Amino acid sequence: MSVKIESNIGIHELPLPIAFVNKRFEIKEHSNVFYSYFGFEKTDELPNHLEGLIGKIPDSLREIKKKKTTTFKPISEFISYVSRKGELRWHKLVLYSDKSRSGYYLYFEDVTKKKIAFDLSLQAGRTAKIGSWEVDLVNNHIYWSDITKEIHEVSKNYVPDLEGGINFYKKGEHRDRIMELVSNAMENGGTFDEEFVIVTAKGNEKWVRSICSTEIVNGKAMRLFGVFQDIDQSKRASIKYQVLTDRMRVAVESANIGIWDYDIVNNVLVWDDNMYQLYQVSKEDFSGEVEAWESTIHPDDRERSLMAVQEAIEGKKEFNTEFRVKTSDGSVRYIQGVGKVFRDESGNAIRMVGANTDVSRIKKVDNRLRQLLNTTEKQNQSLLNFAHIVSHNLRSNSSNLSMLTGMLLENTNPEKQQRFLEMIRISSERLDETVVQLNEVIKIQADPNVSSQWVRVKATLVKVLESINAHLEKICPEININIEDELKIYGVKAYVSSIFLNLLTNSLKYRKPDVPLCINVEARKKDNLTIISFKDNGRGFDLQRYGDKLFGMYKTFHGNKDAKGIGLFISKNQMDAMNAEIEVVSEVDKGATFLLKFPN
Amino acid sequence: MKANKVFLVDDDFIFREAAEVLIISSGLTEKVLHFENGLEVYDALLEMADTPDELPEIMLLDINMPVMNGWELLEELKQVKSVLRDSIQIHILTSSIAPEDLNLSKEYEFIDGYITKPLTRADLTNLAQSLIPEG
Repeated sequence: MSVKIESNIGIHELPLPIAFVNKRFEIKEHSNVFYSYFGFEKTDELPNHLEGLIGKIPDSLREIKKKKTTTFKPISEFISYVSRKGELRWHKLVLYSDKSRSGYYLYFEDVTKKKIAFDLSLQAGRTAKIGSWEVDLVNNHIYWSDITKEIHEVSKNYVPDLEGGINFYKKGEHRDRIMELVSNAMENGGTFDEEFVIVTAKGNEKWVRSICSTEIVNGKAMRLFGVFQDIDQSKRASIKYQVLTDRMRVAVESANIGIWDYDIVNNVLVWDDNMYQLYQVSKEDFSGEVEAWESTIHPDDRERSLMAVQEAIEGKKEFNTEFRVKTSDGSVRYIQGVGKVFRDESGNAIRMVGANTDVSRIKKVDNRLRQLLNTTEKQNQSLLNFAHIVSHNLRSNSSNLSMLTGMLLENTNPEKQQRFLEMIRISSERLDETVVQLNEVIKIQADPNVSSQWVRVKATLVKVLESINAHLEKICPEININIEDELKIYGVKAYVSSIFLNLLTNSLKYRKPDVPLCINVEARKKDNLTIISFKDNGRGFDLQRYGDKLFGMYKTFHGNKDAKGIGLFISKNQMDAMNAEIEVVSEVDKGATFLLKFPN
Repeated sequence: MKANKVFLVDDDFIFREAAEVLIISSGLTEKVLHFENGLEVYDALLEMADTPDELPEIMLLDINMPVMNGWELLEELKQVKSVLRDSIQIHILTSSIAPEDLNLSKEYEFIDGYITKPLTRADLTNLAQSLIPEG
């Protein structure tokens, strides 16, 4: 028994744009909405041929006539036309044959929106260089989208296969990796999203991102599909950036630069690893507050450094300061700190970022330079003294000689000639003595480091005293020596003896005539120095008046006829040569104390 | 024109002795008084302040001397009666050839000359000519 379902609904009643055309595509029947779908009003003249509606009839439809049979599958075709309102519209047209009526049913669907959406996605894919691909494992069929082909730089007709696809991956780690991932996807249904280098058909290397999903049916991978993106530009940019970052990191690390970031609002101080290195502080011991930084700064520099931070925050000054830190191992380092303050819209300081550099070595070199400069200045002073000598002692004696010889020649009185000769002899002796003394000075300055060694202070002093024993016996001074037997200083033995001798004979020479002379010699260590002091109760001198000239050449201060003004000058030069210092404390009639300061 | 007396201030006895012979033989004066340093001549001059007739017409002054050098003496003379500055011709007589010394000497209005050693007959002739005849 069969049931026949009869429909009473006619074509005109259907709420869809449907028409029946004959084999010449003349519209014979249509649904009520058919013309309005194409934008026609009821009052308009309605075209009765398909061409009048959609323009040129697509080839696939025209070819129907050639078909031998009238029974065939529905034909669907996309057509575009410009609507009466002037818009570009897209339609899907489906043609069904109707054997009984020798004509065709046409059904239209507006796909403009879909078409636009599809175009956009295609465009987006093109712009983002994203292509798609698919591997049908059941039929062993592979599909690449146009963009996927473009990325591989193959023609649109290229027919991919699985092995060929994998061979585009660069030999080595990239190919090995993709093979591992694909086989894992096929066997276990794994997915991946990774970046690779491929070598395109044209031989260009390219960074791509490949994403793969798997379709699994009954625990078996049926289909792999995914997208394929050309990320070459961004990847290369990021690699370049990475290289720069690495380079920067290496530079920062090797230059011993520490970076800090101070959140002023929340009082949080963040250090990079180098900072911990610089300050020799372990991460666990650092609380991340400004106070923790403060506590590492050398007490003498703390106030100034905090002031510098404060001034930077207040905007008075850029933060660029130098300070010492005490590291946890107790050593002192010189740190150069620079920083920049960041502010919110209303100008409040909210953040400070900066760098610290260990400048201890630079500082050391700087100090060394200063020392050299000092030495140079001293030598300059000596040169000035030389000029003074040439001007005074050499010239006064040579001018005497020139006067006397002239007079000797003019005067014929034998008695007077005898006197002139005697004076010439004294002058030439004095000239000779001056030259000897000059030689002495030059010797010291020519070779300042002659055989420095550890010199025993007390033994040297005792020897010097023995050498002037005859002199001492005449005066009988009281001499107190308070020096440890083993105390040593690093210097030139001959210089040390010479200085001791000079200071002792000065005390003998400039004693008070009516008071028994008393000399105290002491030595002690203080900080990095060994200080030897010679104190007497002699006539002393006015330091205010002579202080700056005391160690100059040919400066005399007592009106003593024996004073030649060379002793202290030579002692000073010898001390300079040993990198030691000589100082004096004295007042008129209250004796003098000379201090010899040797570095340990 | 002859001077009654000349003061010679220098710490070098050889120079003083030689210079005296030279001065006397040049005829500038017959009386040369020796001083070893600034302080000695300063004391002598102060004693003569009330008897200007006894003052020397010329003083030859060395610069580098112990106790009180030439510059220090000149500073002291600024503080005393002007007769000591004005009635004596003060000439610096030094072995220094440093330009600083010559420049410094120009700061003193009452310095009349600057002679660099050795002292010569020509220097002494110039000195004699610079003496203004009395009356």
